[in-house]
Amino acid sequence: MKLRTFLAFVAPSVAIMVILIAVPLVGIVYLSLFQSHTKTELVELTVEVPTFGGQTRRDTRMSPQPVLDSSGNPVRVWTYVGARNLEKATDLDQLAQALDTMRDGAEGGLLRRMYQEATNIDFWAALEFTLLYTFITTPAMLAVGLGLALAVNSVTRRLRGTLVFATLLPMIVTPIVSSLAVYWLFLDNSLISTLTNELGFGRFYFLADQVTTRTLIICYGIWFSAPFAFIILYAGLQTLPQEPLESAMIDGANEWQRLRYVIVPHLAPLITVIALIHIMDAYRVFEPILVFSSDVYASSVQYLTYFVLAYEDNIHKAAAYSLLTIVGVILLLVPVLRHSFKERRVQL
Amino acid sequence: MKFRHLLAAAALAVAPSMASANCGIEDSGEVNILTNFFDTLELLANAMEECETESFKIDVKLTTTHKEERERAFEASSSPYDGSAVANSSITALQAKGQLLRLNELVDKYREEHQIEDQMLIRFGDDISAIAFMANAQHFFYRIDLFEKHGLEVPSTYEDLLAAAEALKAEESVTYPFGAAFGGSGGWEVANEFVNLLLANGGQLFDPATSEPAFDSAEGLEALEMMGRLSEYMSPNALALDFLDVKRQLQQSEVAMAILWGSEANGMDDPSESTVVDMVGFAPAPAMVDGGPPATTFWWDGYVIPKNLDGDADLTFRVIMHATSPDVVAANNEAALWIRSNYVPTKYATAVVDSVKANAPPYPMNPQAEIAHGALGNNIGDFLAGKESAAQSLADAAADYRSAAEDAGLL
Repeated sequence: MKLRTFLAFVAPSVAIMVILIAVPLVGIVYLSLFQSHTKTELVELTVEVPTFGGQTRRDTRMSPQPVLDSSGNPVRVWTYVGARNLEKATDLDQLAQALDTMRDGAEGGLLRRMYQEATNIDFWAALEFTLLYTFITTPAMLAVGLGLALAVNSVTRRLRGTLVFATLLPMIVTPIVSSLAVYWLFLDNSLISTLTNELGFGRFYFLADQVTTRTLIICYGIWFSAPFAFIILYAGLQTLPQEPLESAMIDGANEWQRLRYVIVPHLAPLITVIALIHIMDAYRVFEPILVFSSDVYASSVQYLTYFVLAYEDNIHKAAAYSLLTIVGVILLLVPVLRHSFKERRVQL
Repeated sequence: MKFRHLLAAAALAVAPSMASANCGIEDSGEVNILTNFFDTLELLANAMEECETESFKIDVKLTTTHKEERERAFEASSSPYDGSAVANSSITALQAKGQLLRLNELVDKYREEHQIEDQMLIRFGDDISAIAFMANAQHFFYRIDLFEKHGLEVPSTYEDLLAAAEALKAEESVTYPFGAAFGGSGGWEVANEFVNLLLANGGQLFDPATSEPAFDSAEGLEALEMMGRLSEYMSPNALALDFLDVKRQLQQSEVAMAILWGSEANGMDDPSESTVVDMVGFAPAPAMVDGGPPATTFWWDGYVIPKNLDGDADLTFRVIMHATSPDVVAANNEAALWIRSNYVPTKYATAVVDSVKANAPPYPMNPQAEIAHGALGNNIGDFLAGKESAAQSLADAAADYRSAAEDAGLL
């Protein structure tokens, strides 16, 4: 192919990648290097507010007010701060300091106390649960997805269409909506709590404890993502040639051995792809954390980005958190990519 | 302040408005307004949409995530929203950044036509920055029947409240004695409960002269420890329940008393959602110290117009004034504690009025307060969950406050 033709073919995708991936990426790197605010000065200000029945209340106090430039617009201050936003976001100083001194009240062994100190800092607490979520849901969603695919593949053809559709439902529902549905199931006097009470097990408080809240979020994550593994592995099963399976049976392989030595190796490239995509998704877990309003028990790096933007109104620190998310995803993907690359070379 | 109410908001927003009557605006154009989502604001949104004609488009977006959208919109070179509903706390940062349009000229121009009353005007110095329409405060809600049954009196201090809670533990018709909003995303509501107790205990959020945090004090510690003691009488899920959940707990007879917003009082007597009609009494919040002010702050809700609006300020102002007109107040007298003078106080307003008479302070209208509020929300849950001591939580919050205030150029 001529170079010109080649360039003409790839140009649209390169352009789209630049606009949708490279520009925003450069944007957040840029934003994370700065800090900005409206310049204010403390002035004495009288504020008048209504109470009721035509009354008002006046309150005079020192209050920060914007400094105006010659044309009457508030002065914005942009300062280059370098890596300070990243340092503040990860709180490395505080981490080192906390590990140095240790809280007086903390009990238990050294490791336990170090863990308590680290998870008292927003970023490290968020990272802890993000990693926990990623490492538990990835193998679990693959296992559940494979199980579902094998099960659906073994029923009669007439039922398969309906089953595939039913299995895909969790993936079709918007995450925020399905998170809400799950959350409502576990509140006080909700379906599940009432049921356990009626059955004589007493009232369960799923959202009152770190272990149960985290378990709920992780189970939700598996339920939500397994259909994705299912649909791809199910498609993969359709391409499975019958001959090796039949010869394995002739050789006396039982069902487990056929799965282990014939089916799974056939699906291995698909499993790698699913794992890659799911790790990227899992590291960005956000909706269940927001909906369960559980940030005391389980937070995530993506949730922190949102929190800093929404509640601290600090776009620069939020950019630093997004940057950390990207770095985290890349670090997690490297081993998987290296593994699959090696395998491919072996095959060649 | 919760995302899950967005669903309900979305469902209501697409419901056909009953608007047909024209509100006297003959101009053509478009007005976009962003507001929080609760009953009164929804009512006002419907009133605004009455102004819609063939050539005049009105779009009111009701969402509990209004804060995020407003901050981005008002900071941009041009805001897609021509107006927004704000309250004591949310106006402060916008005002301190100089993003609000000065409304003095518009008020002068339309004072007669729209019967604008002085008490509706929120003033920062000489500037009128917002038009307020309703007042609100959190106060005490209690089951009159259960209080009578157990021979209890309305608590005047939080110690009394704890004693009442202890007595109500024996009551079998409710699951827990007490409810308060300790949940909600971002910790905003739990921090608000803390602010109520802190101010009533003689503490303050920050030092106005230096902007240094001041909640990490003996008064703050007592306030937070009181919240810890209260949580023993609340649902173990309390850290996941926001004010609408607490309202439901009271309506469904799951709790015997609660601290809730005054604007939720009439919902207690709505037979379509409440099982305790005419059984709930209202009183000012208990005090933290004997004889002190009730532990609550006084709020107003109002509309602002940003400087960078992409629409027409005059037109937006008239739409806002139509929605907050004396007619709307008269037609919906029970829906809120309206600020207009033609409002006739109902039994749902007495507790708020009594709180103000008993010297409940307005919520501090300084930008530092909002930053402190956010830092507290992010940290005091750790104490309530039993992860760390109250002192440690407050120290963490103070460190977060310093960091955020530095970034905002206040420290």
